[in-house]
Amino acid sequence: MHELGVISAMVKTIEEIIHEQGYTEVHKLVLEVGELSGIVPHYMEVCYPAAVYKTFMEHSVLELETIPGMVRCRECGREFNAVAQDFLCPSCGSQDMEILSGNDVMIKEILCS
Amino acid sequence: MNEFKVLEIKQSVFSSNDREADRLRAELKEKGVFLLNLMSSPGSGKTTTLKRTIAALKEELRIGVMEADIDSDVDAKAISETGVKAIQLHTGGMCHLDADMTRQGLEGLNTDDVDLAILENVGNLVCPAEFDTGAVKNAMILSVPEGHDKPLKYPLMFSIVDVVLINKMDVLPYFDFDLEKCQNYVHMRNPKAKVIPICAKTGDGMEDWYQWLREQVSAWTEA
Repeated sequence: MHELGVISAMVKTIEEIIHEQGYTEVHKLVLEVGELSGIVPHYMEVCYPAAVYKTFMEHSVLELETIPGMVRCRECGREFNAVAQDFLCPSCGSQDMEILSGNDVMIKEILCS
Repeated sequence: MNEFKVLEIKQSVFSSNDREADRLRAELKEKGVFLLNLMSSPGSGKTTTLKRTIAALKEELRIGVMEADIDSDVDAKAISETGVKAIQLHTGGMCHLDADMTRQGLEGLNTDDVDLAILENVGNLVCPAEFDTGAVKNAMILSVPEGHDKPLKYPLMFSIVDVVLINKMDVLPYFDFDLEKCQNYVHMRNPKAKVIPICAKTGDGMEDWYQWLREQVSAWTEA
């Protein structure tokens, strides 16, 4: 499953961050998941317990916030939500668009001790 | 558990891997080794394209190949028959390689006598695009039977590649594959990507690909 590899990469990133600050355990994690990131929030929630099992994050709670996948049409300049509009510009029908937000999976907040 | 603290981070979940990839690239630069990350879906002709590329370039460049697969070593066997160094990497079920696994692979390959190291990534258009392997350039192969709409369906993959090889051009008459549309879709996702139509089986178009690769390797190792 794709989400599993993403969480494993994230565990490494978080480990570096909290060790740098002198903490050892994570209690809660807030992630911003972009609608265009290719990550399905539900799958992320389902495989999270398995992905963090027997790590310093084992007892942490995961909270997800969705970041809308906003784009700007390169033909007419219209800004719209790409997911809601099925990747077609509602004004001119173009498929050529530049991503404004929602492309990433970002660590927003870590509650640790 | 005494002192709780909320850290406000705003870092990509991939940032640990991204930093490792940057370190690896810097080391490769130091050693004068060019690492190419080759990606595609399963069955697009990665191994066939590689074998032909090796045959054409092995007199001018010292080549080493890392074959990444979830399991089996059929690809590494096929590559070692070409006479260059090849090792098989098993990802242990993972659908991609990260920078750390790539580093282990390069150590296993031993790049002291290698100018061009090629990583044949796991056949998959999703996960490998998210993990920077530390490669100098990313190449991908899209084959005609897969359809010209793939750049729309896998936008991330097409946005991170430097070159797209459109393979199996010999079967074009039998498929509804629109080469011009495909090129447009690739450039929508990535205006800088170079698109080269090839046929790894017949050799058509391969000279353009070799030339691109030669130029990239010499720009990296001489600069």
